[in-house]
Amino acid sequence: MSGIFTHIIVTCLIFGGIALFGLLAVYAERKIAGFVQDRLGPMETGPYGLLQTVADILKLIQKEYIAPDKADKVLFKIAPIVIFIAVFMGLSVIPWGPGIDFANTHTGLFLLMVIVSIDVLGILMAGWSSNNKYSLLGAMRSIAQMISYEIPVGLSLLAVVSLHQTLNLQTLTLQQGILSNTSVFFMGFWDVSDIGGIFAWNIFQAPHLIAIYGLFFISTLAECNRAPFDIPEAESELIGGFHTEYSGVRFAFIFLGEYAMMFLVAILGAVLFLGGWNTPLPNIGPLQLASWTTGYFWGVAWLLLKSLLVVGIQIWVRWTLPRFRADQLMNLCWKVFIPVGFIGLGISAIWRIFVMI
Amino acid sequence: MEAAIFYLISATVIISALIVVSLENIARALFLFFVVLLGVAALYVFALADFVAIIQIMVYVGGVLILMLFAFMLSSKELLKSIEAKEDRFISVPKWSAVLMCSLLLAILLSNARELLIPTWVIESIKSKQVLSSTDNTIENIGYQFMTRYVFQFEFISIFLLAALIGATHIARKDKTL
Repeated sequence: MSGIFTHIIVTCLIFGGIALFGLLAVYAERKIAGFVQDRLGPMETGPYGLLQTVADILKLIQKEYIAPDKADKVLFKIAPIVIFIAVFMGLSVIPWGPGIDFANTHTGLFLLMVIVSIDVLGILMAGWSSNNKYSLLGAMRSIAQMISYEIPVGLSLLAVVSLHQTLNLQTLTLQQGILSNTSVFFMGFWDVSDIGGIFAWNIFQAPHLIAIYGLFFISTLAECNRAPFDIPEAESELIGGFHTEYSGVRFAFIFLGEYAMMFLVAILGAVLFLGGWNTPLPNIGPLQLASWTTGYFWGVAWLLLKSLLVVGIQIWVRWTLPRFRADQLMNLCWKVFIPVGFIGLGISAIWRIFVMI
Repeated sequence: MEAAIFYLISATVIISALIVVSLENIARALFLFFVVLLGVAALYVFALADFVAIIQIMVYVGGVLILMLFAFMLSSKELLKSIEAKEDRFISVPKWSAVLMCSLLLAILLSNARELLIPTWVIESIKSKQVLSSTDNTIENIGYQFMTRYVFQFEFISIFLLAALIGATHIARKDKTL
């Protein structure tokens, strides 16, 4: 019975955290955008523009909920919920710290790959039920893009998995720090099992994973429909893409789903490549920095810090780079990313057999 | 508790599957099909086949269902009308193929029905303690089985899929000279 309580309370906690993150991420997005483009709203409302996000959420909640006359009402109402729940489900398998994992399954990483396909279905549902050509076009573009980019993402995940031989996210994290059961080698030659820190992260265990992480980061930008890959919701051509017809709280849910997806892929990248909840500080002789900064509280803090940093980079990229054209997007995916992904997977296999043993 | 959830999911699957085949609105039927697939995946989890459950969602929701939706959305309205128009005659070709499939499935079920409650091989495995617990890693087992016992079937399916891929690219190519 206590298990059920913890599961419900923890789920509520994570939900609250995600809602809070969504709010703050919108704020950060606008703040950075305001900084880059010198916008007034997020800089001037209240002290430091802090009240802007409160004003936003008040506006969204009190707005009238409008459904188009000829929309498929049932699907129109369900779609935002499907989109949000799909992403929210993915957070259940994330290892937040040493021993803090709510669903420690052997198929954790695989489950995260599935989240995207359910998300795609929600987007298609929203686009179709709106009965609006812009919505449908946006949904079509979004799906073509998400399904194509699922392949390079999958290949980059496989490059990591073939090194560590597990799909369990907690085990994957454990093998990148001082708590590892097996010996960890920096670049394949220097035993850092007791030193840990940044040297034990996956991107430094095998150097080709640095390039693979770049591939993963860019592909996940496309999976989240983020700029410079935001052609599904290109404001200048499609008004807002699949969520053109949504308003009020339902729009807020779609928005929350999008930001939660950003957060999810940022966490996933941190877990697979950047050591997850492992500390970046190494043990140096008597200065046991890694041992001091490993624990429940530290684990959660490091993971959040890493993933929020990646979210920051995602926002930075959005307000810096212009949008891709659809054909450029597909060319990049099929002619550059997928071959590079396969090469990375091949190097991983060779590395596993000849270097790690 | 677990039995209650099991029956709840089974009921959801059966009822929504019945609604899928009786709905006239194809778009809604396709989206409801998603509920059926998700429910079947949940039933796989109950059978401790979590890997199969995830494959089920990945292949059927991420691939087949999206493809069906695309095919539906890209086909013309007149074409769809002929599908949506109901055939009232009892004896029509599509119905007969469905009847054949159903009776074959029923025959398979009945042939297993002589061991109605618990099949003998299940009792034997429980006696010899060859059972899985919910925390066991089934993926490793599946991998070993694929590469040893079922290697012929595995390779056969791989070559079959490769042939399908080459066929698809051949149909899609612009230059038809070859």
